[in-house]
Amino acid sequence: MTTITAPARRARVREFLAGCRDEAPLQLGVVPFGMLYGIGALAAGMPAWLAQLASAVVFAGAAQLVIVQMLTSAAGALPIGLTAALLNLRHVLYSASVADYVRHLPRRWRLLLAYLLTDEAYAVAILRYQTASPGKDQAAAAADTVPGVDLRHWYFLGCGLTLWATWQLSTAAGLLFGATVPPEWDIDFAVPLTFIALLTLLLRERAGQAAALAAALGALAFATLPYRLGLVAAILLGLLAGVWATRRGEGAR
Amino acid sequence: MSTGALIVLLVAVGVITFLYRYAMIGLFASRSLPAWLHALCRHIAPASFAALTASALFVHGGTLSIDLGAPKPWAALVAALVAWRTRSVLATIATGMAALSLFKFLF
Repeated sequence: MTTITAPARRARVREFLAGCRDEAPLQLGVVPFGMLYGIGALAAGMPAWLAQLASAVVFAGAAQLVIVQMLTSAAGALPIGLTAALLNLRHVLYSASVADYVRHLPRRWRLLLAYLLTDEAYAVAILRYQTASPGKDQAAAAADTVPGVDLRHWYFLGCGLTLWATWQLSTAAGLLFGATVPPEWDIDFAVPLTFIALLTLLLRERAGQAAALAAALGALAFATLPYRLGLVAAILLGLLAGVWATRRGEGAR
Repeated sequence: MSTGALIVLLVAVGVITFLYRYAMIGLFASRSLPAWLHALCRHIAPASFAALTASALFVHGGTLSIDLGAPKPWAALVAALVAWRTRSVLATIATGMAALSLFKFLF
């Protein structure tokens, strides 16, 4: 271990706190999803301790809501696992996107930052990486505080831990609130309503529309497949339709 | 699903998700991603949400049942209109739940 000078330590803390501060506004959007997950998990019959544990182990909001919805419709473990694995595939893209900036870090740092690499943490941290003195040498680029030392992983850590804490606390809040909701409220219907809201945001481009339409029709056509495997088939059909629509759109231009 | 099976499922999803996140940082750090993966990832979210929504509204107990006298599809339609106009997730959930209570009372 090398000794850390006081100014270097202060620079780290400053970078970490800057990450927390820049991540903070996004928490407003995260809290409802965390609560909804907690409420939905109870309605789907998950034990509260396991629902809370899943927020730490899986730590991916959309996938956790999808798992809850599929449990509600009595899907088997394999279709749920496949769907969640597909939905989370985008994290490979984030991983590739930050790879150049964190490659020089020790493995324990890379393991920790990988665990914290969610949609919202990525969105904020990547801005810090991409806007700092572009064109310069990377080690020198981040040296606004200590010359020659890249401290931006502390900023990334601030973003990631802020989101982590919000996700755990809002899950807990949802579990507490969910336990008081009477079953006749049909509170589990809030999960598909969330999917409807997210869908309308995603449907601006034609390829997304084709994917969604084909997947919705597929879900009805394959409804009778066992263990809800029809959902996986429907999503794959939607992907085919999306890729096909994109190709056709490019060909027409 | 039994609690034991659910634990296995959640741990498996957690491990897969972590491996995705660690993939390009630690596992295949020197490789670049194929173009098709970028193309595919754009469609996964809309396809998943659409399939799950259609299934939640029209599939019950593993059979297709399109029942236009049921309150949920109509509540979903109201929610979709609100989502389209407001682009707000909270407004969509609130109106959708209110519409469901109303339609359950009326139908």
